[in-house]
Amino acid sequence: MTDHRVLVVEDDPTIREVLVEVLGEHGYDAIGACNGREALDALAASSDRPCVILLDLMMPVMDGRSFREQQLRIPDLSDIPVIVISAHLDHTVANDLHAAAYLRKPVKLAEVLRSVRTYCDPT
Amino acid sequence: MALLVESIRDYAVFLLDSQGRVRSWNSGAQIIKGYRANEIIGQHISTFYTPEERDRGRPAQLLGIAERDGRVEDEGWRVRKDGSRFWADVVITALRGPDGELLGFVKVTRDLTERLRAQGERLRLAHAEEAIRLRDEFLSIASHELRTPLTALQLQLESLEEHTSGAEPRMAGKVAGAVRSTQRLGVLIDSLLDVSRIATGRLDLRIEPLELGATTAHLLDSLRDAARKVGSTLTLYADGPLEGQWDRVRIDQLLMNLVANAIKYGAGSPIDVTLRREGDEAVIDVRDRGPGIAPEDMRRIFERFERATSVRNYGGFGLGLYVVREIARAHGGSIQVENSADGGARFTARLPVAPPTAKEST
Repeated sequence: MTDHRVLVVEDDPTIREVLVEVLGEHGYDAIGACNGREALDALAASSDRPCVILLDLMMPVMDGRSFREQQLRIPDLSDIPVIVISAHLDHTVANDLHAAAYLRKPVKLAEVLRSVRTYCDPT
Repeated sequence: MALLVESIRDYAVFLLDSQGRVRSWNSGAQIIKGYRANEIIGQHISTFYTPEERDRGRPAQLLGIAERDGRVEDEGWRVRKDGSRFWADVVITALRGPDGELLGFVKVTRDLTERLRAQGERLRLAHAEEAIRLRDEFLSIASHELRTPLTALQLQLESLEEHTSGAEPRMAGKVAGAVRSTQRLGVLIDSLLDVSRIATGRLDLRIEPLELGATTAHLLDSLRDAARKVGSTLTLYADGPLEGQWDRVRIDQLLMNLVANAIKYGAGSPIDVTLRREGDEAVIDVRDRGPGIAPEDMRRIFERFERATSVRNYGGFGLGLYVVREIARAHGGSIQVENSADGGARFTARLPVAPPTAKEST
């Protein structure tokens, strides 16, 4: 387990890439996944556990809600905190998903960094 | 038996002879069709049909089926004595003698006009609900589709801003301007979507316990930079915690719009936000010391797309105060504006600390 891996689950390639890139510049080991399915595969494939997961909700193949439900069922992964980043107006969705935080799109970079810093130490 | 039939008022129950002529008449038939017994006995069944149905030979056709199959059921328009039409459910049953010979028919007719109208009403209601559902779905998709590229744009610009913060001032300034523009675009998208929701009476509230003091303090912190740029200061006055049941996102928006409005039109004057409790209401007072509002503008500044000053002076859609009013109303509260005696505009929002019983209203 590392203290600075961040998993970014987001279907929009620009948002995903810029988040991965900027988190990298701020000392995190960020990796991206295009949807919930890819995120679960990435979690299974690596022994490096993320310290936080940034999760979009509306995604093809497997949406954020389904991903979170699956994650909570896997004992080794269930305690990784999730920050929901969504265009959804209703912030109570974060409670439904037992998310650590809810950031609404369009989200400010500073807000993302501040939230990530709560759970992860940069290198 | 005749007495029983006579007493039935909701159904027209009468006998026809084998040729389809009326032989008996009950009070239900009189009520539904309008004829008295002496006016109709001996008349042919086709009297009750519309001219079109008569021309198509419908009465004889139905009697033919009843004779062949023993019974026929039909729904359609029929004509009353006064010429008006009603939607009828008709059952015709053949009567046969001991040797199977046709004696005549029993005809039972019900007036379903009311039911048809109610069905139409239900259908219209269902269509209206479907239209609202489609609109909500459209707004939700539009919101997502607009926000996603905006987020991508904003994050890239903010990332660029990090890299240009030490760069040549003109370049850094342009990037900072682009960041501000995208943030503004986000606010405008929210406003437009809100107005679409409000216009069709669907400002849904998520009521939860909220402490207004901390919420306001947090919001003022986020606006302090913008205030400083125009030379205004933001000061919060509150006696203590102010607890209530409100929608966090919407109250934030209400405060944001009121304070942003003061920053925009306060002409660099100090801005005071005062919170207090009066009875069962929380009162939010936002006051600037700018030029105030002209009397003729007082009433219309809360309307959609209205602004007291001309479009050329200030940007935006002029939706902010309209949204403020609708948020206050949805919470069962109100918003008022007046000019202070010593100058400047003073907006006062009143919000009941307990939520309205209905989940939403406008």
